[in-house]
Amino acid sequence: MGYFEGFRVTFEQLFRPRVTIQYPEEKRPKALRFHGRHVLNKYEDGMEKCIGCELCAGVCPARCIHVRGLDNPPDAPVSPGERYGFVYEINYLRCIHCDLCVEACPTEAITESKLFEFSFSNRQDAIYTKDELLVADDGQPKHLPWEDWREGEDLHTSAWVRATAPNGDADYEGRVAWSAELGYGVRPPEAGQLGDDDAGAPIDDITVEQVAEGGHH
Amino acid sequence: MTEQTETKKDTVTVTVDGKTFEAAPGELVIAAAERHGIYIPRFCWHPRMKPVGMCRMCLVEIEGVRGLPPACTTPVAEGMVVDTRTPVVKKAQDGVLEFLLINHPLDCPVCDRGGECPLQDQTFSFGPGESRFVEEKRHFEKPIAISELVALDRERCIQCARCTRFADEVAGDPLISFVDRGDHTQVLTFPDDPFTSYFSGNTVQICPVGALTASPYRFKARPWDLDQVESTCSTCAVGCRVNLQSSQNDLVRMLGVDSEPVNHSWLCDKGRFGYQAVEHDGRVTHPLVRKGDELIEASWSEAYAAAAKGLADVRDLHGAGAIAFLGGARGTNEDAYAWAKLAKGVLATDSVDCQLDDGLPAAAVLGLPRATIDDACRAKAVLLLGPDLKEELPVLYLRLREAVVDGGVAVVELGPQSTGMTRHAKTTLLYRPGEAVEVARALTSGRDPMPDAGGVRGEELAAAAGILGRAGEGVVVVLGRPSVAESGRTVAEAAAVIAAAWPQARFLPALRRGNVMGALDMGLAPGVLPGRVGLDAGREWFSQEWGVLPEEPGLDAAGIVGAAAEGRVQALVLLGADPINDFPDRTLARRALAGAGFVVAVDTFLTDSSREADVVLPAAMYGEKAGTTTNIEGRVTRVNQKVTAPGTVRSDWIIAAELAQRLGGDLGFDSTAAVWAEIARLAPSHVGLTADVLGRRENRDGVVAPYEGEGPPRHEAPVEQIEAAAAVHQGETLPSEAVAGAPEHAAVDEPSDDDDPAGAGRPPLLTFAVGDAGSTAAPPAVDAYALRLVAGRRLYDNGVTVRHSAHLAGLAPSPRLRANPYDLDRLGLGTGDRVRVTSSRTTLTLEVAADTGIPRGSVALPFNLPGEGAADLIDGTQPVTDLRVETTN
Ligand code: SF4
Ligand code: SF4
Ligand code: SF4
Ligand code: SF4
Ligand code: FES
Repeated sequence: MGYFEGFRVTFEQLFRPRVTIQYPEEKRPKALRFHGRHVLNKYEDGMEKCIGCELCAGVCPARCIHVRGLDNPPDAPVSPGERYGFVYEINYLRCIHCDLCVEACPTEAITESKLFEFSFSNRQDAIYTKDELLVADDGQPKHLPWEDWREGEDLHTSAWVRATAPNGDADYEGRVAWSAELGYGVRPPEAGQLGDDDAGAPIDDITVEQVAEGGHH
Repeated sequence: MTEQTETKKDTVTVTVDGKTFEAAPGELVIAAAERHGIYIPRFCWHPRMKPVGMCRMCLVEIEGVRGLPPACTTPVAEGMVVDTRTPVVKKAQDGVLEFLLINHPLDCPVCDRGGECPLQDQTFSFGPGESRFVEEKRHFEKPIAISELVALDRERCIQCARCTRFADEVAGDPLISFVDRGDHTQVLTFPDDPFTSYFSGNTVQICPVGALTASPYRFKARPWDLDQVESTCSTCAVGCRVNLQSSQNDLVRMLGVDSEPVNHSWLCDKGRFGYQAVEHDGRVTHPLVRKGDELIEASWSEAYAAAAKGLADVRDLHGAGAIAFLGGARGTNEDAYAWAKLAKGVLATDSVDCQLDDGLPAAAVLGLPRATIDDACRAKAVLLLGPDLKEELPVLYLRLREAVVDGGVAVVELGPQSTGMTRHAKTTLLYRPGEAVEVARALTSGRDPMPDAGGVRGEELAAAAGILGRAGEGVVVVLGRPSVAESGRTVAEAAAVIAAAWPQARFLPALRRGNVMGALDMGLAPGVLPGRVGLDAGREWFSQEWGVLPEEPGLDAAGIVGAAAEGRVQALVLLGADPINDFPDRTLARRALAGAGFVVAVDTFLTDSSREADVVLPAAMYGEKAGTTTNIEGRVTRVNQKVTAPGTVRSDWIIAAELAQRLGGDLGFDSTAAVWAEIARLAPSHVGLTADVLGRRENRDGVVAPYEGEGPPRHEAPVEQIEAAAAVHQGETLPSEAVAGAPEHAAVDEPSDDDDPAGAGRPPLLTFAVGDAGSTAAPPAVDAYALRLVAGRRLYDNGVTVRHSAHLAGLAPSPRLRANPYDLDRLGLGTGDRVRVTSSRTTLTLEVAADTGIPRGSVALPFNLPGEGAADLIDGTQPVTDLRVETTN
């Protein structure tokens, strides 16, 4: 019997629900505040939020951001104010997705999407240019040919995510302290952030429950 | 810093925050506290300007004094007890900052000052942390360009008056000031009068906020991505200490470092913004070799081979004397030494000149007793026989101006036209071009009554002699070339006359090119060898090490150009020299380049001259190489590398060493450190001045050569280690940074005692006496119909630096012929008229302007401005250039 005894675990597992999934056809939901590839946001009027201040580059522990500022052309300003981000590059061979750049940005220009599945065949391609990082005309991240985007991964990209983060300043909980953005307007505060009887907006597709089930190990 | 030699009774005892120390009487509390590590916040006070007490940030409590006096206007007193951190002081600081921030915009992320801003820093350290003001702030039009170089954002200004005081007190160009009152107070230029000071960049450096920003640096980088190294400015020969800053391997900014004996933290705008030339796209980045009519890109080995073959052929066919070197005054001392050794020690030609007949004979510069800048500023009287210092050596002008305005030094100016210094001079003697010697003779003759001489009236000469005294005691002569249209020999001869009559007078050379003094010290001139010795005096000393040496003294630049034009010099090596633009006589320079059969140009850009070359070897520029440089005083300081050179560009000394090898010689060094070690071992004026000595903390401002050695050797940590340990917040005096490049130097073994040839057999240093300048032809008699040309220079000219600096290029004025209104009247002309000007060389059409600063009988036309000008008119074979001026039509 010793022989079959050895297969007991195997047979038991055969009748249990599967935990592995058929990746990449099928994917687990990602955490609400998952740190993926960055996007550069725009205001509702289409102006870029980035002012080229290099604070993100200064704070980045991996030193993977390269920003250069330039004077806004007076007749066709790119961003509000004097200066705009003329060059903006992130090297994804170095980025550790710590999101310190997002924290540092004074204008909520740089935030992160949920996308992390992208690969390159040479180092040059791993450097995302400003054009690739900038949201499209509908305010959504551009879906680049080598990236594998899934439903919902491009939704929670705004500063809203950061401003309502539980580790943010308690005084600001539930207060709209973020700016409007192209394609979305001013996003409402997250449910649960306004105290007992608040009627905060429901979070659309990716719920907190899903996060609890399928989050990181 | 200054030596502390006070004895007990010269100091007062003060206590600041419980710390008791001695301070000099009259010293301000803020400065005394800072020297002892107690930082009192401030905005308006600057250590190099008079205190005004405008911003109230420095309020402190002083025992027994009512209220809170400002530390920046209160001098220390015996027994004074000061508190800088009490709750009352804290409340005052909170108040001042809150008040300043009421109208201060939230521009930090886009402000060039953000990250290194005294207002940010002090708000962070001393401020209340939160603002109670929600009202709309004051608004002004965002940055307005108050000059080509400076932008002003009035919203950010905190009215500290540093900029206006600098412009008025330090630079003497009061072009910006406050207008309006109350919360509408703003800094502004006068209508239609931009901030065209040569020193405007300093206001940007000292503005404690981002109200004044530099256009060349605008949005180029942020403080946290800058990397910096301390170096010496090489744009002119004052040798200001600077911090060279780069971002991503691009030079982006230069800041002045406070060097007590030299620049007091100031820079001129050409020095400050000239780094743009280094970043210019038009650099020569690869060697070029002539194939037919074209210069074709080649490998270094091809280029070396071509250059060596050309030189060797000329040497074998016509002798070493047919090879000549021009230039070399823009590199490091090491570069200059390497070229001197190649020319004199390998090729054995003495026809080498780092000046282009636009300076003074080497013997005069090296042989006259030398003064330092401090000597000049503390002299009883200064005799200025040289160029317009404001145009050519701007920071020397600032230093002398300060000495006159605050120190009461009497300046006697002797020149062919008035200059920027004229309004500060006690008297200005305007002589007829070419007749400086006559004036010098009369001035030192002590005759009574004084006769007229060289176009100067006797009374004027007598008054000047009265100021200068009889024996030259306490007199410093600032000696340079007042005009390239008169021979430099006459000026040197005048200096010799003065030196002979006044043995106590000392001389401060006022030559302009970055390292011209180093190049002369290293022997890049005819008749001299490295270390300020004559060719014959040093022959024995150097032949032991160098092997061959030139037989005969060679030609100077004028001789070389003349000989090349006649085909007697067959090969020309241009070391960054552009004779077509820089030699006084352009016609002759063109003929010389055509006449020399073979031309090698070691250059950074293709200039009018290097375009004519057969081989072009691309050389590294300022900021791309390390080494040492020498200023007008003979002060040796370090220059350091900050960025890598483009393409395959190499340092001059490497090019010299490689060429030597292909010419069958061996310069015998393989690093800048090794070159310097050889200089410190061999060059008689530099013996013992090793990298180790230069690196000592007490020598951070450089060492003045000739080096006289010192007492027992001190075993001290090199500067960089001490610096790192003593990194304190210095406020506005930029902490001079660890000297990079030092490790390279430090790696050299010092010569041990037994192979140090010091003493025994060391040749004597050069001296200079009447007659040593060579014969000077007397200028021809004045012709009543002709006007004699005076050609001075302008700061912004058509030189390589200005031409290739985007923000400076447009500042070069267009040439105008200036003449005394009397002469213009006589010719029936007025300002703005166009005239035909004829010399023995050519005829030009120019605009005239009346100028009372030009003596009658002379006309002034600045040298080397864009387009046709003085160089086309000057006849270098004559002692002076006479012009005929006629109306057009
Ligand atoms: S997420 Fe972190 S590592 Fe990545 S770019 Fe931002 S700061 Fe740098
Ligand atoms: S993304 Fe934000 S932090 Fe980065 S440069 Fe732009 S505005 Fe500044
Ligand atoms: S512009 Fe700058 S230096 Fe001038 S007063 Fe204003 S804050 Fe002071
Ligand atoms: S005065 Fe001369 S050394 Fe000083 S900053 Fe200007 S160019 Fe440089
Ligand atoms: S009042 Fe003293 S620093 Fe301004």
